[in-house]
Amino acid sequence: MDKRLEKALRRVQKPGRYTGGEWNAVYKDWPNTGVKMVFAFPDVYEVGMSHLGLQIIYHAVNSREDALLERVFAPWADMEKQMRETGLPLFSLESRRPVRDFDILGFTLQYELSFTNILNMLDLAGIPVRRDDRATGVYPLVVAGGPCAFNPEPLADFIDVFIIGEGEDAVNDLLDACLESQRGGENREQFLLRLAKIGGFYVPSLYRVEYNDRVNLEKVEPAVAEAPAVVNKRVVTNLGEAAFPTRPLVPVIEAVHNRAMLEVQRGCTRGCRFCQAGVIYRPVREKEPQTLVRQAEEIIHNTGWNEISLSSLSTSDYSRIKPLVSELTGSQTAAGVNISLPSLRVDAFSVDLAKEVQKVRRSSLTFAPEAGTQRLRDVINKGVTEDNLLEAVSAAFAGGWQAVKLYFMIGLPTETDADLEGIADLARRVLERGRRLSRSPGRIKVTVSVSSFVPKSHTPFQWEPQDNMDELKRKQAFLKQRVRGRGLVFNYHDPEGSFLEAVFSRGDRRLATVLEAAWRAGSRFDGWSEFFNFERWMTAFEATGIEPAGYAHRRFEYDEILPWDHIGAGMNKKYLVREHRRALDGEITPDCRAGKCPGCGLCPTLEIKPSLAGGETVAPLHDSLQ
Amino acid sequence: MHRYMIRYSKKDPARYTAHLDLIRELERSMRRAKLPVAFSEGFNPHPRMSIAAPLPVGTEGLAELAEVEMTREVEPVQMVESLNAVLPPGLKVLEVAAISSATPALMAALERADYIVRLDGEDLPAPLPNAAIQEFMTRDCVEIRRRGKDGKEKIRDIRPGIVKVEVLPAEDGLCLRMELKTGSVMNVRPAEAITALFEHAGIKVDPADLQITRTGLFLAG
Repeated sequence: MDKRLEKALRRVQKPGRYTGGEWNAVYKDWPNTGVKMVFAFPDVYEVGMSHLGLQIIYHAVNSREDALLERVFAPWADMEKQMRETGLPLFSLESRRPVRDFDILGFTLQYELSFTNILNMLDLAGIPVRRDDRATGVYPLVVAGGPCAFNPEPLADFIDVFIIGEGEDAVNDLLDACLESQRGGENREQFLLRLAKIGGFYVPSLYRVEYNDRVNLEKVEPAVAEAPAVVNKRVVTNLGEAAFPTRPLVPVIEAVHNRAMLEVQRGCTRGCRFCQAGVIYRPVREKEPQTLVRQAEEIIHNTGWNEISLSSLSTSDYSRIKPLVSELTGSQTAAGVNISLPSLRVDAFSVDLAKEVQKVRRSSLTFAPEAGTQRLRDVINKGVTEDNLLEAVSAAFAGGWQAVKLYFMIGLPTETDADLEGIADLARRVLERGRRLSRSPGRIKVTVSVSSFVPKSHTPFQWEPQDNMDELKRKQAFLKQRVRGRGLVFNYHDPEGSFLEAVFSRGDRRLATVLEAAWRAGSRFDGWSEFFNFERWMTAFEATGIEPAGYAHRRFEYDEILPWDHIGAGMNKKYLVREHRRALDGEITPDCRAGKCPGCGLCPTLEIKPSLAGGETVAPLHDSLQ
Repeated sequence: MHRYMIRYSKKDPARYTAHLDLIRELERSMRRAKLPVAFSEGFNPHPRMSIAAPLPVGTEGLAELAEVEMTREVEPVQMVESLNAVLPPGLKVLEVAAISSATPALMAALERADYIVRLDGEDLPAPLPNAAIQEFMTRDCVEIRRRGKDGKEKIRDIRPGIVKVEVLPAEDGLCLRMELKTGSVMNVRPAEAITALFEHAGIKVDPADLQITRTGLFLAG
């Protein structure tokens, strides 16, 4: 293997993607380690190494004496060519062993457009892509987790076990089960039955799925007693005590985010109705500021990074953000370490935070009002007003920033052209505000980025159709006409990728054939514009007789069985219906952080409570203090 | 300011680390080692550190050179130890020496580099006769095409930069030792010299098969 690998490495553009050797990488004694797992990120090294989840799982597993976790990323096209030409199998970065030699191969599902890479990686590893074809022969257990596991069905024919929800504790259960299964000399079937009994573990082969016609599901039910009717997600109860990597891997080649990541809290209960992350990471769990300050020091000491990013959804919602930032700017900034806040709420309070951490106003500030009118922001329950936005940008421009980015979504339910006009109006108002407040008005830049709405499972908008591509293109052109002129920049993506995302995010098991067909025809790295080939996908849909519009453009009925109904995110389906109806009525629902429980049903279902720093269970919102 | 010259090796897997990534890696390592590295002034301060001659990605370096400035004096032996405790696999500091502030920059003083080039038997279509090397070395001029920074191809004569080429015993394939001029005045890349040599001998080899090790860098004077 080594000679072939060396030859391949001399022929690829960035060999550092495949060599390992990072600071803090863990190299374990292979023969004397009980269970061997490899973490597979179905995208290129630079993307995968920017992912906090990888670092957390790497740390959680490698902290155990009886287990090891190595890494593998999707080989770039040049490396795939070398591997296929020379027969070099997919190998792990640490021990450079074939992926096939591991006991467990665990994929993370971060975005739908990485699904073809999963098939490709299995194939490069010499593992049959379909689980039925793995019934005979010895192969690693193929596991998948991450956000897209909440609708696992399009991948159900390829994956042995899905882990639903948070991985820190679940991965330990997986390793324990694997060790016990090995000791008991169990076969694959017995092992899967054992796994099906663990909370959050979904074994797709143990379910019967029936369809009533071309469109609808008739039923999805367990085929064996071991499999639960609904697999509820895993949640970490005490985030402060959960495994957190203070010795993270430091990428050898410049990654997308090459900096320390400190997770300050998990979950966001603002309840934006399109947002799946808000559902799957619910409830809010904050870490104590003392824990965070200690972890920040350790990470910086152990990595040598000069930037630390406070990561979470809507970081300004962390109830102790102000004292935390003051503490960190005092200790870390003095030591030459920058602090970044990548996810900020739209208000003046957040800009104050940004001012405190960024003494030199290098980059732009980003805000996400998501919709152009108050009416539509109420529909999506984005608790942001035009005043919030104007206050925020005023504070930014007055504070010395010359560029702001505004994120919007188009194709949201109930959207009309008036809402699009609203986006253009807002952008112009922000620009005017900037020119009025800045010392160099000519340099003010407002970038408007629009993405297309993709309905996601387990959200109040899961029943909503996506706009068809012609309509999305029309809306983009409409905005392009209006968001123009000096100081305004308009960004958007082709809707084809969003269309495929919608198909897979609301898809069922029947999509397996089209996914396989598209991959066999050459689809890889579909999230990368230089690789994405929409025609190839449409050919695959035609060849397999699958009508993609039925998944992306159809309005699902409240009473129909959804492909993911047997996967529980904790929120009550009745609550989602209620939220959907409130959305159509333009009614907003407040954040439960403020103390008023809207009754989503998650806490009783998962026997958990929101937890805030200082042991409180609810906190006043900063908004209400101002 | 206190200047230091660092001699280090860059082997597997670090030999695949590209120049800019290596600089970032060294910068982080210095911070992990808590060394008092001096920083440039300005909005975007960067460490006052430079690498004498960047290695091509994949080329191994047995005795590379870098220089760094510190805000206070550090015992060279201690710098070797503290850096080696925090360097990732493949990077190792061999020696640190204090240099006077009057010494010109290493990059400017660089004159020559020595290389070992290996080629596996299966990658070598025909043996390279010694006579071909001698003949090659008697040529007045060895012209190669090199793409400049502006993207345009230029023809350059690298013969004055090829100091010495000799064959070393090899179990399988070929092993060559080369002394090449390097630095700002005359700079010859090992792959260029080898390719020209094989072209001269009429043997077709794939440059990607060359296994190159830089064994040393030498300063003028």
